[in-house]
Amino acid sequence: MIAEVSHFFLVTASGLFLLSFIFSTLTYKTNHNIEILVSRVFSYGSYFVFVSFLIYIWLSIQSDFSIRYIAEHSNKDLAVFYKISSIWSAHEGSMFLWIVFLSLWSQFFNFKLPQADLLKAPSIGILSFIIFGFLIFLLFTSNPYDSLLPIAPANGADINPILQDPALAIHPPFLYLGYVGFVIAFAYNTAFLIKGDLDINWEKIIRPWSLIAWILLTIGITLGSWWAYYELGWGGYWFWDPVENVALMPWMAGTALIHSLYVSSRSNSLRSWTILLSISVFSLSLFGAFIVRSGIIDSVHAFANDPQRGLYLLLFSGILIISSLAFYALRFPKLVSSNLIKPKSKESFLSINNILFVTAIFAVMLGVLYPLIFDFIYEERISVGPPYYNTIIAPIAFLSSIFLVFSVGSSWQRSSKLFFIYSPLSLSILLSIFVACFIAFKLQNFEWWFIGGNFSGFLILIRYLLLVINNISKKMYFNKASAIAHAGLGILLISISINAGLSYEKIINIKAGDSFQDDMYTFNLLDFELINEDNFDSIKAKFLIKSNDASEQVFYMFPEKRKYFIRGQITSESAIQITPFKDIYITLGDQLDNGHWVVNIQYNYFIRWIWISAIIMCLGSLMAIKERSIKK
Amino acid sequence: MKIFIRLVILIIPIVGFVFFYNLLTEDKFYPGANFDRFNVPVFALDDITSQKIYTKDDLNDELLLNVWASWCITCRVEHGFLMELKQEGFLITGLNYKDESTDANNWLNLYGNPYSFSLHDIKGSLALDMGVTGAPETFLIKNGEVLVHYSGEVNLAVWDNVFYPVIKENKMFR
Repeated sequence: MIAEVSHFFLVTASGLFLLSFIFSTLTYKTNHNIEILVSRVFSYGSYFVFVSFLIYIWLSIQSDFSIRYIAEHSNKDLAVFYKISSIWSAHEGSMFLWIVFLSLWSQFFNFKLPQADLLKAPSIGILSFIIFGFLIFLLFTSNPYDSLLPIAPANGADINPILQDPALAIHPPFLYLGYVGFVIAFAYNTAFLIKGDLDINWEKIIRPWSLIAWILLTIGITLGSWWAYYELGWGGYWFWDPVENVALMPWMAGTALIHSLYVSSRSNSLRSWTILLSISVFSLSLFGAFIVRSGIIDSVHAFANDPQRGLYLLLFSGILIISSLAFYALRFPKLVSSNLIKPKSKESFLSINNILFVTAIFAVMLGVLYPLIFDFIYEERISVGPPYYNTIIAPIAFLSSIFLVFSVGSSWQRSSKLFFIYSPLSLSILLSIFVACFIAFKLQNFEWWFIGGNFSGFLILIRYLLLVINNISKKMYFNKASAIAHAGLGILLISISINAGLSYEKIINIKAGDSFQDDMYTFNLLDFELINEDNFDSIKAKFLIKSNDASEQVFYMFPEKRKYFIRGQITSESAIQITPFKDIYITLGDQLDNGHWVVNIQYNYFIRWIWISAIIMCLGSLMAIKERSIKK
Repeated sequence: MKIFIRLVILIIPIVGFVFFYNLLTEDKFYPGANFDRFNVPVFALDDITSQKIYTKDDLNDELLLNVWASWCITCRVEHGFLMELKQEGFLITGLNYKDESTDANNWLNLYGNPYSFSLHDIKGSLALDMGVTGAPETFLIKNGEVLVHYSGEVNLAVWDNVFYPVIKENKMFR
């Protein structure tokens, strides 16, 4: 009964969003009242979605197994936290969450935007159309309320144990918030294109919304990377998996967008670019949703894919993307600014980086699509792996760091003289060449990407450090937010390079009582312990580890193998010893016939700093929202 | 130049759209479907009511063999569709997989029995011989030969795309 109420609320909400969209199309002809109506009806629609979702959470906590989705993805023995997170552990529920965030976020925008704003009614209308379209998708092709009545099962299925993890439980919500966050920029700019009134300053409106969306997306991606690192047992932080790539593409486009917004809010020059980017970010989010949910990439997936889902998503995203781009093409001649960008001005460097980012996005997109195209033409399955992405992304990252550093000391709207002997730019280039070479000699690694990565990372760090020192000593204003965020980027580049350059692993065979020594540590495998938990049996190895150097540091590590009862799944729980600059990462493999165990020992350098730098970038962006209001 | 940029901006997504449309509507490989033919191995198993021992010869000429268990949630999900198939006159024999016979019988009494009879494979030996990896799985069998092996839930989409074309081609269930 309660499930039906929740279902009914969702159906009502879709009706209200349709109504709000229809009203918004009438605003051209009639008076102001209709505009207020659009906003009101929209509010009610999102409240209905929200209440419906709250009831669904309650149903999930109550373990209402008359609902097929809950029966299939949750069970009675789960902790309440995982009962709730089981909602977004599969397609229907995660789509539901996506829509909830979409409508709440849009409602927040609706609430914040003054009624007098010229683009309010049309942009709310576009948002209504988007939410309506997704609600129809949810209700007709992936209904989370599908019933198992008349007779409900006594208990549900377990959720996949590797998904029973706090980082995984919270990372999809952040990702979805990031994805849907860019809908505001999309809707507002499409409204701007439809209206075609060039005097409207949309930059100021969408900048904070895009920054918040960028932060949330960054947090979501970082949490996902952290989870994959400690849970999957492979010891990496990024796998260039298609699902990761479809999150990376909107992130890169979003990064380009927030920079481009910054330029176009100061000078008119990049306006057309900024609009195109704001359309692209959300389009790439839609593309990602399509790729992941239509099942065309992950064809070994165990569930039967419903081809209708893919078709609906394709048609709906197609309508949104192509129509907004058609408006863009229509207004394009008016948008292109007449004043040319001066070479060696700040805008010029930012534009070059815009182009580099778009190139990177196309490269990643090609990597995702290439297996599909290949399969379509040659009926053969291939996969595109890390070597492709690394060889393309690394040079682009290198080049864009250089142009970033050029942009630091340059001025708006005029050419700047950058290279004189004592300029901060020359100084930072010299210093970072020195540091990069020093590291290369010290660590005896002369790979081009290793030196290049360290060079570009230190170049950014040093250049911003010089800026900060200079401006603080002269008591001049400088953009603190930008300095912090870009310092984060510098640390990220250095950490990635050092991680790739130094990390290594070894696979050993060892039995209880034996020890293994390498040049840093001695590993003693003391014994094994069998543990019986509520929902799994576990075998836990006890390692005593001594460092070989003078410090004679001693610690224990407990890698573990678990067998879960309900699904019979076997998982490996790696043991991780965290030190400031490296992680020791032990994974228990299989037992051999002679009683020895296969054990994988990895040293992962600077891996923590990759995530820390993401947090620093987020902090910088958070400050950018507060940064002094943009003048025009 | 401007015309060119405008065209490119529109053509890229349209090409993408057409490509994906073709990809999605193309007759595609169904994950879980296996069309390697093989003969049903020889077996002798109780049925779940322990009334009779069945062998390979007791199987009908044309049947669907459905691997199920009372502990299997997806089997519960699939159950409604199997009942519909039974009503349309398809003969379905059950292969009760690694399950207690009391649980299995209770399950059938509670939800309804779509099966002509259910073999009781508590050790999973016949299932192993037939390449079963879990429940539910469904086999289409004609004269002792397996024509289709599908792992996962059978629903209308799977039926229409995986089973029905083979049934039609082999002129079965007439």
